[in-house]
Order: sequence, then structure tokens, then C-alpha cells
Amino acid sequence: MSQRRITPSTATPKRKNRGFSRRGFLGSIGASAALAPFIPVLESQAGADPLPKRLVLLFSPNGTLHERWAPTGTENDFQLRELLAPVEPYKDQMCVLDGLEVLRQGLGDGHQKGMACLWTGNQLNAGDFGGGDGGSAGWAGAASIDQAIADQLGNDTAYKSLEFGVQNGGATNWSRMIYGGSDNPVAAENNPEAMFARLFADLGVDTGELDRLKAERRSVLDLVHGDLEALESKYSSSDKQKISAHLEAIREIEKRNDLATPICEPPTQKYGFNFDANENFPAVSRLMIDQMVMSLACDLTRVASLQWSRSVSQTEFSWVGATRHHDLSHLGDEDQSMIDQITSINVWYAEEVKYLLDAMAAVPEGDGTLLDNSIVVWGNELSRGNSHGNHPVPFVTFGGGGGALQTGRYLTYDRVPHNRLLVSLAQAMDVDIQSFGNNDPGSGGLPGFFT
Amino acid sequence: MTIRFMMLGAAASLLGLSGCYSGFEADANGFGSGANGVTDGDPDGEDTSDSDDDVDPDDPASLCMDADVGPTSLRRLTAKQYDHTVRDLLGLDGGYTVDFSPDERIGAFKSNGNAAVVELQVEEYMTAAEAVAVDATTDLAQLLPCDAAEGDSCAEQFLAEFTMHAYRRPLESGELDRVVSVYMSGKDAGEGSVQNGLRVAIAAVLQSPFFLYHVEFGQPDAAGDDLVALDGYELASRLSYFLWDSMPDDSLFDAAGAGALADADGVREQVDRMLADPKARDTIASFHQQWLGMDELEHAEKDPEMFPGYDATLAESMKEDVASFAQWVLTEGDGRLATLLTANITLTDDPRLHAVYGVTPPAGRAAGEPIELPAGERAGLLTMPGVMAEHAHPDQTSPIHRGVLLRQEFFCQQLPPPPADVDNVPPSPSPDATTRERFAQHTADPACSGCHVQVDPLGFGLEGYDSIGAFRTEETNGLPIDNAGEIVLSDVDGPFVGGPELAAMLAESELVGTCFSRQWFRYALGRVEGDADTCAVDGISTAFNESGQDVRVLLREIALSSAFRFRKGEA
Repeated sequence: MSQRRITPSTATPKRKNRGFSRRGFLGSIGASAALAPFIPVLESQAGADPLPKRLVLLFSPNGTLHERWAPTGTENDFQLRELLAPVEPYKDQMCVLDGLEVLRQGLGDGHQKGMACLWTGNQLNAGDFGGGDGGSAGWAGAASIDQAIADQLGNDTAYKSLEFGVQNGGATNWSRMIYGGSDNPVAAENNPEAMFARLFADLGVDTGELDRLKAERRSVLDLVHGDLEALESKYSSSDKQKISAHLEAIREIEKRNDLATPICEPPTQKYGFNFDANENFPAVSRLMIDQMVMSLACDLTRVASLQWSRSVSQTEFSWVGATRHHDLSHLGDEDQSMIDQITSINVWYAEEVKYLLDAMAAVPEGDGTLLDNSIVVWGNELSRGNSHGNHPVPFVTFGGGGGALQTGRYLTYDRVPHNRLLVSLAQAMDVDIQSFGNNDPGSGGLPGFFT
Repeated sequence: MTIRFMMLGAAASLLGLSGCYSGFEADANGFGSGANGVTDGDPDGEDTSDSDDDVDPDDPASLCMDADVGPTSLRRLTAKQYDHTVRDLLGLDGGYTVDFSPDERIGAFKSNGNAAVVELQVEEYMTAAEAVAVDATTDLAQLLPCDAAEGDSCAEQFLAEFTMHAYRRPLESGELDRVVSVYMSGKDAGEGSVQNGLRVAIAAVLQSPFFLYHVEFGQPDAAGDDLVALDGYELASRLSYFLWDSMPDDSLFDAAGAGALADADGVREQVDRMLADPKARDTIASFHQQWLGMDELEHAEKDPEMFPGYDATLAESMKEDVASFAQWVLTEGDGRLATLLTANITLTDDPRLHAVYGVTPPAGRAAGEPIELPAGERAGLLTMPGVMAEHAHPDQTSPIHRGVLLRQEFFCQQLPPPPADVDNVPPSPSPDATTRERFAQHTADPACSGCHVQVDPLGFGLEGYDSIGAFRTEETNGLPIDNAGEIVLSDVDGPFVGGPELAAMLAESELVGTCFSRQWFRYALGRVEGDADTCAVDGISTAFNESGQDVRVLLREIALSSAFRFRKGEA
């Protein structure tokens, strides 16, 4: 076929518009309504099956300022301080979890372990990322809690889970927090336009056209599936795991391809800017939140995460008058400018959380809202930037998990391993486990949080 | 064949510099033992082994005593390899991978060898394959080797060749039938359209693991942990992704099919041919940009008030500058590492980069011709603007990052990161202190000095290049540049002043040459060398050093090495 292979210089330039199935159809749905009001997709289910529970993990980096983060008062009568002030309207629906420790056994430096252990509670594998004391560390050695939960709950929805990210950076263990398993980091989608195409492009496509597309994809997936199975049987050990993971992803896509298209009203969004540019960090955050809330409201998934930046984030928060986050976070406590700027940054993150909560609380479901049926957990890879500490790492939850959680509380602990929180999250989501992650020698849930 | 028998204590040199906090003296151990263990040899390639055994370059046990190679794990194509492969497969030019999740790195180099894929990435492959398939089937007359009006027979003829090329090996029994069956489904879904059938079939082949992964098993009868030769097609792919960053061409496929890659002469012949091919420029560009850490320079932010002319376009020119310089040395120049490290030229055609260099191209200069740079300012790759700009802060230089680059990527000495509780914010620029003075704490504080005495004096020597890599004689505050530096813990220890003197010392260092050969090994194999590779790695670096550090010899020796041509059988 060499004579048919044409040289690059004479090739037809690739069209900028990636036509085919996804983006080519966006025009037909582009004029839909703005984000709010949502179509209450699940409202009709009220009184029939119990409404599904949802889990949302949130991450912001580089630690906090505990003295400005921790509430004052008692468990049931507490006052928020400035870093959590923006979420004051949701005080009745939150649990502030103070005093948890993210255990850090094994390989990796503080940031690496802070990030990879955050939702896995598990040690890192050996690997090539240059890390602490001259050694190196690899990816996390086990699945994160959201993926473990999604494995149990995700079979009825189009996606077992969805991972949203804002400027997460390259494929390193400083920048990945979600894991499907050992050596299996789950990259979040960072491009809001690509995420939109992934989630919503098939909506609004003519039924006949969609059926044709699905039939075509079915035959494509058959071939890929067969090739992967042939390879899987030939490999062993870690190579086999790679093929098995690929096969598992294909099975998920096959399942989705066979599902009826969900009823959903996608948010109207404008793109055409560089989603990776520092100045667009706030805009991307809002686009991702809007899409995430819609995907939960439409029951595209029941498990989602949103990762803002990454460990060692150098986001430059010019929009709140602050400079590069990680550089700032290292400055000493005597530096009032650091205190002021880190405060501004963390208040900004709290305002983004409030924007998310507002959107979730605006989706009616049954007698309540989407937020009532969800558990939103906001964590961080460090306690404080200039100490790189692992205690107390700030955790806050929002939403009642469909009545599973008693909210409106400020809970304090004395260096309790956060693995217990991960266990409680699974239990609150009706996944019956008693321990999670090999960092924690103990077992059971977080005392007083969910029983 | 210059690979020789050696029993070297080189494993120690692979360990590098771990744990420099424990003290300076203790860490001096183990350096350069690999290089120092090299014995005299014949640079012209005939075997001069002291052993009585006959060297058979096709017997791994003969290539290296106790032959062993490290495990090569199953890798996926990198984004660049995907784009180049689609280009060579279908004549479609690039851009399909812009939305791919980032590639992993193994050492300095892009290689997807550790992490398994997740659903998002598999969907990215689906989206890209569908886009390629649409573009490929836009003009069937251009795509097909026969008349589309012939219908299924023509389509099947195309798919047989296309799938073989996409999988980079002959098809096994039943494989073509399955692709044709996808074609039939697509044709049916498209109401009998051959074009629709081909589009769906092409999209399927491009999502097959045989396209997306570097699938390697070795010879079919291999079993157990034995070292086995790759089969001809697997070796053809290793060669092409190593030397072209893309799939094999027909000549390589033919050589594989004819068994011509089964012996060293056949491999050598292909390597020489491939290095002379323009596609080798892709590999030369990728290697040097990644090795020097500047392959994503377009993401580096610079202070817009201090450097109003700096933007992503200039950054791209700086990347291209490194690529075109290395390409020139290896294809038109003498091919030697010393030239890469010291030549005082640029080939850029970008007037904005000429301004950074402070040169005016001579009248009548044709595009791409070398431009001599002002004497005493620059020397080779290290001091190129893109390299200096990458290893600098937005508003000031970074002697630390530049020193670490030299330690890790030129000397292959791994440094630990700073202690977790340290304040590593660069000291703010000051009106009355030089960069060196501001960073003095590093070498004064015992908690820092263990590592920083190895790092900072290298970086101070590069103070003559500002945050975007422009040459300067004064700091921003007007104080004169103090660019006296010192190399320690090497085979070329001593003081120097400025980039050109530093580069000249690097060019004299056998340790740097050995490290450079290891870097190419990592690039070629997509993995970091391990203990099991010691024999192969030492043989390669010996041959390289004996050749006068001719990089073309180096690439050939890697391709001929046991690590490249053999693999461990699956247990």
C-alpha cells in the first residue's frame, strides 16, 4: 500500500472540526436552557424506589490554616471561621471533621503520600517518581474509596464514576488522587469541552442516527473486546493487569452504548479559550461544576469527584490578589502577607464549594433536593503548607446521604486515622466494609460520624 | 561489533547520589566506577574481546556474559507516536491527540509503561479513532489501492493491507475476517455504503490493542524466564519507534518478513538507512527536548512586565531551536556529543529568537542555515535559550533548577528533593545582592549544604542567562553577573566561569558521555535501566566512548544490544 500512502505535505489537512458523532452534533443542542433550573429527572421516582445516594469527592491543595479553618464552639453549637464562612448557608448540612490524620507509611515524600493516600488510605508502590530521602515512589497501591464504592453502586448508571479536574497537570503521583486499583491512576478530564462532548453530545441526536451510531460502535467494540481477550490470555502479571483494565473499560463503554439515552438538559456552555491557562482557572471550575451537577441530577453517575489543581499546586490566584499557591504556602507563620493570601485562596475555594452546593440544592428530588441525597466530601493533601503536615488534615462533608448522616455538627478527633472516614463513607453509601487501605492498622468507621 | 565482555562493578554507578543529606563524604562513593572500569578497546568495531570465546552477535550469551536484560513492560503508544503512526499509516497530519490524557514519563522521557488505562483514556482513543476514520474516508480514491466501485473486494484488499500495517505484523488467521465483519456491519448501518463500512472498520482497527500497544512476545516457542529474541516484526517496530518515533516503513516490514533482522548485519544496515531518513529528525527532536526537560516549554510562565516579548509562540521557536540544532549536528555535523555540547551556532529562522540571541543573520542567509553566535556567550545545547528558560523562575533565574538539571540529566546522579519542611521559595530579587548572595543560605546551612554544594555552583555558572535565556552581563538590579562556578563529584572537577567553560568541561567528561548513553538507552527502551541491564548498558557506553562519543555509533550500538533485541519470556 506504499504507493497509496501519501506524504504529509500533500495530505489533506486534518479538519479542525472533529466531525463524526460527537462534536458534529453539538449544534443541535447548543440552544438549550442555561444551567438552572434543572429538569428534576428523578422527581417522578419519589415514592417508588428509594432515591439513589450520590458521593462527591472534592480536593483543594497545599493545606489550610487550621486557626482560621476550625470552627469554635461545640459539636452541635458551633461557629464557622473565615475559611469556611462562605458555606455558612449550609451549616445545617455539614459535618466539620477536625483532627484526622492521614497516615503516611511507606514510600514517597509528603506531597506524594498526601495525594496518593488521600482517598486510598494505602501505601504507594515502588516506582520512578523521584521522591523522599533519595528514593522514589510510584502510583498508589490500591483503589480509592470512591472507586470501591462505584464498583458496588455504578452498575445501573451510564458511568460508574466521573472525574472532573481543573488544571491537574501531568501524569505523576503528585497530580492523581483517584485510583481504580494498584498502579491504575484515574486521570480526571481537564477539558470542559471534551467532558461536555463525552457526557452530553449524544443527547439531541436524531433517534435513527443514534441507533445507527450505536450499532456501529457495537461492532467496533466487539472487535476490540475480542482482541483484548486474546491478549489477556497470553500475558501474565502486570502486563495482564493492564489488558484487564483496558477490557474492563471497554465493558463499561459497551454497557453505556446499550443503555437508553438518559433524559437530561445539558448546561449551556461557552468554550473557545485555553482551559489550561492560569487565568481561566475560575472559569473552568464553574464549567466543570455545572457539568458535574447535571450528570448527578440526570443520574448519569452516582459517584463523582472534582480535583482543583494538584499537590504542589502553583496556581497563581491573581483574581484574589494572591501569588503562586505552593510558593506562598511554604512561607513562615510570621509572614502576615502569606497568612492573608493563603486565606484569600482558601476562601475562594470555599466559594466554589458553595457554588456547587447551591446548584445541588437547586435540584428537587422527592421531598428534598439532590444535596440531601448526596455526601460531598472536601479534603486536602496536607494539614498546612509550611509544615507539610499530615495532621490535622481538613475534612468537611456536606449533605445527608439520603438520611444516612446526622449533619450540622462539628466533630473533633485526636489523630484518628482518616481511613476510618473512608470506611464510614462507604458504609453511609450502603457499601458494607469494615476497613479500607493498608495504612490503618485498626478497622471500623469514624466514631460518632456514621454508625 | 564493539560490545565487549566486561565484568564491571558498574551497578554502583547506577545508584547515583541517594541520600546526600547524610553527608558529603559518604556520597562520593560509587561515582564513575562504570566509566573507570572501561578497558581499552578498538574504536572501529571489530571485536577485540580478551575472551577466547567467539563472539556471535546473535547469541545473547555471547553479547554479554551471563546475558540478562531487564523486563520491558507492555507500553502504549505515546501521543507523539500515535500522531506519527497515523501520519505514516494514512497520510493524515497530526492533531488527533490534543485531548489525550498526559503521557507518563519514565525518567526524563515520555513512555506509557506503568499505569493501566482507565475508561476516560479508552474513550479518548475512541474519539480520536473516529475522527481519523472520518478524515481517512473523505476521499476514497486517494485511500484505496483499487476502484471503490468494485465494492467489497476492493474494500477487503485495502483492509488486509491497512490492518497489517496498523498492527505492524502479518495478520493471524481469522483476524482479517473479523475486521471485514466490522466493515460489513458498518456498510449495513450505512445502507450499503462502502465508505461507511470502511470508516467503521478503520475506527475499529485503530482502537485495537494491537494498534495502541507495543505488543511484544518474542519468538513463538519462547517459554519460561529465558531470554528470547524478538521476532522480526517486533524488532522492526522497536527500531522504528526508537529511530523515527513512528511505525515501520515497507522496507522495514520487508526486512522483517525476509528474516533480515535476525542477524546483526541486517539490523546495522537498517539503522544506517533509518538514520539517514528525514523521519529520524522526529526522534532527534523528541529525545533532546525531553532529555533537557523543555518539551513542554510552552506552558512555562514568564513575568509579562519583565519579558513582554515572551509567549507560547516564542517558546515553540525555542523548542524547535533545540531540535534543529541537534538534527544538524547528527545529520550534517560530525555527530559527536562534544559538538552537541559546545557548538556555538543556532539554526533558527525566527527573528524574535534572533533578538534573544542578540544576532542579526548575515545577508543572504538561506532558511535553516547555521548562524554563528557571538563569541564567548553560548556553547551547545545547555545554554540554548529554551533550556535556560525552562529551568528558571518567571521573574528570575534558578541556579538550583539548572544545577539539578546538570546533576540528574548530564551526570545521571539522582538527587533527593528538599526536606519536606524547608522553605524553598526563591529569595526575592533584591536591589543590592546578586543571585549568588541571595542563595548563600543553601551552602551556609548544614541542613541544605549536603546537596546544594553539588548543585548551586553549577547553576551559578549559568547566571549569564536570564529567565528567558537571553545572555546578560548584569543582573536586573544592575549588579555585574558573578558566573564563577565549580564542578564537583565528577571526573572533570574544577572551577569554571560561564556557560562555554562549563560546556567544554562537560564535553571532556567520560561520566557525562556514559550518562548520555544511558539517557538514549532509556529513550530507546522506554524504561529505566536496571541491574539486569548492566552488561548491555556498559557495553553500549564503552562503544560510545571509544568512538569518540559519536552519537550515531551510540544509536547503532543500542539497536544491536542484547537489551534491545531480546526480551524476557513471559513466565
